[in-house]
Amino acid sequence: MSAGNDCAVELKGVTFKRGERTIFDNVDIIIPRGKVTGIMGPSGCGKTTLLRLIAAQLKPSAGEVWVNGRNLPQLSRSELFDMRKQFGVLFQSGALFTDLDVFENVAFPLRVHTALPEEMIRDIVLMKLQAVGLRGAVELMPDELSGGMKRRVALARAIALDPQILMYDEPFVGQDPIAMGVLVRLIRLLNDALGITSIVVSHDLAETASIADYLYVVGDSQVLGHGTPDELMNSANPRIRQFMQGIPDGPVPFHFPAPDYREQLLGGDDA
Amino acid sequence: MSEANLTLAADGVLSLVGVLDYRSGPALREQGRQLITGCTKGSVLLDCAGVSKSSSVGLALVLAFMRDARGAGKQLALRNLPEDMREIAQVSGLGDLLPLQA
Repeated sequence: MSAGNDCAVELKGVTFKRGERTIFDNVDIIIPRGKVTGIMGPSGCGKTTLLRLIAAQLKPSAGEVWVNGRNLPQLSRSELFDMRKQFGVLFQSGALFTDLDVFENVAFPLRVHTALPEEMIRDIVLMKLQAVGLRGAVELMPDELSGGMKRRVALARAIALDPQILMYDEPFVGQDPIAMGVLVRLIRLLNDALGITSIVVSHDLAETASIADYLYVVGDSQVLGHGTPDELMNSANPRIRQFMQGIPDGPVPFHFPAPDYREQLLGGDDA
Repeated sequence: MSEANLTLAADGVLSLVGVLDYRSGPALREQGRQLITGCTKGSVLLDCAGVSKSSSVGLALVLAFMRDARGAGKQLALRNLPEDMREIAQVSGLGDLLPLQA
């Protein structure tokens, strides 16, 4: 039995290809239930793709994706639609509806997925906004919000349906230090108080390491390593060390593969 | 999945039972309105001991019942709030608003 009680999500031998390109090659990942798991790696390594595989927005080319005891690639369309209600996703862009005010943005999933009466929708929207500290912004439009506030409204919307699994796609990108601190605190608070399983995909090392109970480092279509932030920081693996310590050159080379420089500048023959 | 119910005993104890979620919420809301406004007692005690699981919907129900009671000029108190409802209440800043009976 996969994805038992201790693990909310399990990827087993997952391969994902886009055309000829292999984004993931036979990857195994276990996301423990009720914890904050960070998935880290350099830009472009497929972290967002990984989230989309877990959220059943993409189908793996091979392998199994178990979520709460069910193998997603084997589910029907309607079963997948139901499964998706268990997920909340905080997108990198925030993705607020620009012509709806803050209230309606948070109310949106409640209106689409539930038959709750208006007064209860209002209660829940105000509760979620209170949780992220923005109840006072209920009548504002997205373009009246700072970047950090937008992300918090998006977070209120992501938790509107009380998801069991909350996924954050690069939550810290472009945030000032105060907004970052607020987000870090909120992710931890929501995880611990509401028993949510949190998956944070990020390349922001310090913030992610500071909140994650467990980390995966991905790159080169593989899981390069996993462990607690401390374990990874002290890893003997040079690839993990390069990423964790932000060393510009190493196993992941500074230079994109290129023809010989001398030959390119000076020509093939010895001058 | 969403087996839930609300019953009012003669002594004014309103018992909330089962799973409080988006499926059970709308019917419970209506049941509560009728029971609270129809109750002959001046005060109602909402007992959540039988709640097996609750999402934010459970707290929205409690708030709605508080408004019903207020509208009908009755007192409403709350007891045996389960752990998951307490946690949602805390995160949502409802701690001081709920008429919790010790």
